[in-house]
Amino acid sequence: MSDQELHRIAVIGGGMMGRSIATRVAQAGLNVVVREVNEERAAQVKAILEESLDRGIQRWSLTASEKKAILSRIEFTAELDRIRDCQLIIETIQEDFAAKKQLISELDDLLPSHIPILVNTSTLSITELAQGLDDPRRVLGIHFLYPVTTAPVAEIVRGQVTSDDAFTTARDFVRVLGKVPIEVFESPGFVTTRVVLPLINEAIHVVMEGVASAAEVDLAIKLGYEFRTGPLEWADRVGLHKILTWMEYLFHETGESKFRPCPLLRKLVRAGHTGARVGRGFFTYDENRTRLDRLPDDTPKLS
Amino acid sequence: MKVLVLNCGSSSVKFQVIETSLEMIEADTDHALARGGVEKIGLSDSRLTLEVDGRKPYQEISEILEHRAAVERILKVLVHPEHGVLHDISDIEAVGHRMVHGGEKFASSELITPEVEAGIEECVVLAPLHNPHNLRGLRAARGLLPNVPHVAVFDTAYHQSMPAKAYIYALPYDLYLRHGIRRYGFHGTSHRYVAIRTARRLGRRLEEMKIVTCHLGNGCSMAAVDRGRSVDTTMGFTPLEGLVMGTRCGDLDPAILPWTMAMEELTLAQLNAMLNKHSGLHGISGVSSDMREIEAACQQGNRRAQLAFEVFCYRITKYIGAYAAAMGGVDAITFTGGIGENSVKVRASVTAPLAFLGVHLDQERNSNAPKGKEVIVSTDDSRVVVAVIPTNEERVIARDTVRVLGGVMPSFAAPETAAPR
Repeated sequence: MSDQELHRIAVIGGGMMGRSIATRVAQAGLNVVVREVNEERAAQVKAILEESLDRGIQRWSLTASEKKAILSRIEFTAELDRIRDCQLIIETIQEDFAAKKQLISELDDLLPSHIPILVNTSTLSITELAQGLDDPRRVLGIHFLYPVTTAPVAEIVRGQVTSDDAFTTARDFVRVLGKVPIEVFESPGFVTTRVVLPLINEAIHVVMEGVASAAEVDLAIKLGYEFRTGPLEWADRVGLHKILTWMEYLFHETGESKFRPCPLLRKLVRAGHTGARVGRGFFTYDENRTRLDRLPDDTPKLS
Repeated sequence: MKVLVLNCGSSSVKFQVIETSLEMIEADTDHALARGGVEKIGLSDSRLTLEVDGRKPYQEISEILEHRAAVERILKVLVHPEHGVLHDISDIEAVGHRMVHGGEKFASSELITPEVEAGIEECVVLAPLHNPHNLRGLRAARGLLPNVPHVAVFDTAYHQSMPAKAYIYALPYDLYLRHGIRRYGFHGTSHRYVAIRTARRLGRRLEEMKIVTCHLGNGCSMAAVDRGRSVDTTMGFTPLEGLVMGTRCGDLDPAILPWTMAMEELTLAQLNAMLNKHSGLHGISGVSSDMREIEAACQQGNRRAQLAFEVFCYRITKYIGAYAAAMGGVDAITFTGGIGENSVKVRASVTAPLAFLGVHLDQERNSNAPKGKEVIVSTDDSRVVVAVIPTNEERVIARDTVRVLGGVMPSFAAPETAAPR
């Protein structure tokens, strides 16, 4: 299947991930239908997406006319029927097995069998989600990294029975978005999540043991290994509750102690200090999610 | 003969059908039979427009998903019994294609052969935003019109006559050798056309004139045309260098780039977008990238719009001085492009400081210059002529197509001044 045949894409769920994906798809010149649970929520999602485009204009990553073009390509709706003529479906509802399973089964009934269903997940089993469908071969996983609009890579996850056709379409789609597709065979945490979680968890342990302050741990790793953000700030930005969920899942699936969540992570989540979105995690943030407590050494330098 | 001229962008195809021949070119009677385009390729509401002199513009909206389908639709509407201008597709005897980048490979317009196509492919790395679409359009058109010759006309070719001292940057020479980093220049078809027209309008031989051509449109560039050859131009390795444009910055201190990236924590993509889409008239004024809106805001006393206007004109004035020095004199300054042809104020402001060079604008002629006409706007006793010449890139492409097929296409290469490899 060539990229020319992809011109209308459905995104089910207008959360942060869904909005970012929709934006990127529209930027690539394809039409998008964003489906939400009700019209009120759909309108709300549109408003939030517009705000984030405005922030993009302020940061020179977008122009006013590009914003207009992007919005003209996105339809926000509560009617599942509007996705009938889409050539590819991406579901981005909450990371909850039962909810995703239910939705995928509805999609399976609604859509012709050659239409691939891409499940956005960083941990759930594609094979299990697809099991029992009329056509489980069309289901595959896609894992976009944060932030979706700029992260240059996406993992495409093959389940046990995913067809080559579905995989090829998904791979071409990722290319249309200007990202590099990484082919991954289903395994807990795929590649990126599995590798990064122990790093974050270890950084939290170091903080908990009092070896160094959170800010200095983060800065050491950021400068030492040329990361754009340190692991703790990155975790804050993703959301510590999500990090905890992923770790618990990996720990549960593999039984390996390297995935056991650090008690400090649990403590912060229980206190509601889940990161940049609420203004507080390992660090503090203002309402634009700009970090407030950066160290003097943590400032841009020319050399 | 009838030549189809195609200009393919990422999501658009512009076209003209031009009635032309070597004799008609000589007599200046070659003319467009139809012009139009397809916009929003890839979407379900793509728009095809067709304009024919003396008729109401025709438009259709439908789903056109890629370039081949777009060219197919264009051919279909051209032979439509009611809206079209051709009896049969076979009336088209040749196709001329606009190509953005010809690198150092192409110093002339070329008949497209497998070798030429491979050469265009090699230039993709130099113009990743343009050449792939040009190529896609070329392949689509050749698939649909396999029995007629296709000719490529390059934006860069005319400037291949520049001497090495004008195109080599003072960077490590390895960058030139490894990546071809040098000045190429763009808008070549336009600079060449208006230089030729200027000489013709004055009844003088191009080979005896020193002309500064100012193409001021959406993109802006100038060229020093010394006896018919481009010897310098303001755009460089990419169309970002040189003059202030609608949203492009033009010349700046390159040290600003790493500094801004570090201080504003920008990604490469953001930096690129900032320079290309958020700078220029728009960046300075915060009002608009459109010169007409800038001038309106100036009228209302908007200080930043006034500043944008001044920076825009001042840089052109500076380059006129530079190019007069480079050529050891200047006989004519030619304005073209949307702004160059239509902005009375820009022409007045640019030329005002140049009396010392012998440039004297006739305010009345300048203010009353009729749209779409070739006119002289300097005084009769001005030593340097100031001309307004509407550009017509499609006409040049059609002319080159005829010349290539007739075996009379000149090359713009200047091997005696080329840089060592």
